[in-house]
Amino acid sequence: MNQNFRRNLFGSFLSFVLVIVVWQLIVSLGHVAPYVAPQPLDAWRSLTTHWSTLWPLVLGTIGETVVGFVVGATLGLGLGVVLAKRRFIQRVVYPILILTQAIPIIALAPPLVLVFGFNLAPKVIIVAWIVFFPVTVNVLDGLSHVDRDLLTLARSYGASPWRTFSAIELPASATNIFSGLKIGATYAVTGAIIGELAASSGSSLAIYQHAQSAQLNAAGVYATTILMTLIGIGWFGLIVLVEFFTTPWNRRQIARRAGQHI
Amino acid sequence: MEFDRFLHLDGVAKTFDLTEALRPTTLDIAEGSFVSVVGPSGCGKSTLFNVIAGLEQPTTGRVELSGVDVTGQAGHAGYMLQKDLLAPWRTVLGNITMGAHLTRGVTSEDEHRAAALAERYGLGKFLAHYPAALSGGMRQRVALMRTLMTSHQLLLLDEPFGALDAQTRFSMQEWLLQVWAEERRTVLFVTHDIDEAIFLSDRIVVLSDRPGTVVADLSVELPRPRRLATLTEPTFMETKRTILNLLHHEGESA
Ligand SMILES: Nc1ncnc2c1ncn2[C@@H]1O[C@H](COP(=O)(O)OP(=O)(O)OP(=O)(O)O)[C@@H](O)[C@H]1O
Ligand SMILES: [Mg+2]
Repeated sequence: MNQNFRRNLFGSFLSFVLVIVVWQLIVSLGHVAPYVAPQPLDAWRSLTTHWSTLWPLVLGTIGETVVGFVVGATLGLGLGVVLAKRRFIQRVVYPILILTQAIPIIALAPPLVLVFGFNLAPKVIIVAWIVFFPVTVNVLDGLSHVDRDLLTLARSYGASPWRTFSAIELPASATNIFSGLKIGATYAVTGAIIGELAASSGSSLAIYQHAQSAQLNAAGVYATTILMTLIGIGWFGLIVLVEFFTTPWNRRQIARRAGQHI
Repeated sequence: MEFDRFLHLDGVAKTFDLTEALRPTTLDIAEGSFVSVVGPSGCGKSTLFNVIAGLEQPTTGRVELSGVDVTGQAGHAGYMLQKDLLAPWRTVLGNITMGAHLTRGVTSEDEHRAAALAERYGLGKFLAHYPAALSGGMRQRVALMRTLMTSHQLLLLDEPFGALDAQTRFSMQEWLLQVWAEERRTVLFVTHDIDEAIFLSDRIVVLSDRPGTVVADLSVELPRPRRLATLTEPTFMETKRTILNLLHHEGESA
């Protein structure tokens, strides 16, 4: 990979170290009680000692995040294309889209549990609910701003609508599409955790954290938060990698932006 | 004389909402000829090309190609628009083969032809580059190669050499003449450069100020192949003076 990318990776590593150092300084210089905030090392120890309990929960959260994201992103892509292509549908559906996002996401869980019960479905739906919106909006935005002259060029070749879409409109919107996917990726974990809180009967990462908190086990609480964050960063990073490899003409830009995000 | 009417424009006119861009224009273009269109800026040259390419429906009039009415139908001419319009997401090779990509899918034969073309005209080392890494002149050459890759007999070139320095421009002109001589295509060529028009063309159509229509139709009686020396021949000078006079009067009447 290019130099820019490596430099950004190094930058991300530095900021990680910085966060740990500041955390340690605050806790030790501020004489923070261990049940309020643990030392980084204690959080780490809590992670390793309870790993056998934690890791199935992590897998569960990853599963909800990924399935929900894929469902939401697919819906978002499809809807974005339909809205861009059919102005009339756009006028009717766009207000409904805004409406879906105005519903407090926590308030969405109880009715979903009533319908689907305590299983995977409500969590996946909540994640998809959060993810599809930024994807739809960005896809719509991208497709609406394709260089009109490039479309004229396609027309001069007598290109079919499908060819024009796949050869011009889709690649021209790639940056926007990936913006939507990246925003969706960062929100996806949040959706999964909210889903776990509101619609889990059994064990889950969110419930585990809740229990640690009830026991005033700060190290366990922090360890869980770190795990959740890592899932989010990992998923985001994966999307950036996909973008990096599928849009080679944008590589320099992607590498530059990725450094700012992570 | 079917042959001389390869392209036949019959009273083609175009009015946009408020602007009359092109007055009724009738023109016949012979198969295999090289015809330049010159005229003041904004007189409707690009509009005329858009109508011929079928991108714009003329307000009145018909466009015939080989005796077939193609008014308002696209896909029968290779058209290089005034902007180079390279796709930033395709490499030089990908852009040269854009036509196939947009119509039927790129074959390896397309890629070989494109690579050979690029190799031959100084872009061989840039096949895998993206347009962002090219100079303006290189971009224009890629756009021209993309246009030449089409199998259409009729080529519409709208100021293809606008962004080139004098030297590159001259070698591109020589190259275009060579391609034209080898492939026997019919070329319609818009330029603001009168020397360029004379150097390249069999015929020069002079348009009036907007709304444009044909005010003069001159044939260029210079032997081919044309070379650097052509530029200083008396016939060349005389043709140039005639056109300058015509354009000058057009400018005054505006
Ligand atoms: N899509 C359009 N809608 C409205 N007016 C247009 C449109 N396209 C062109 N025109 C107008 O038609 C006139 C002719 O434009 P055209 O682009 O054909 O000129 P041109 O001869 O190619 O000029 P130039 O030499 O500067 O390229 C101009 O006044 C322009 O504003
Ligand atoms: Mg023009």
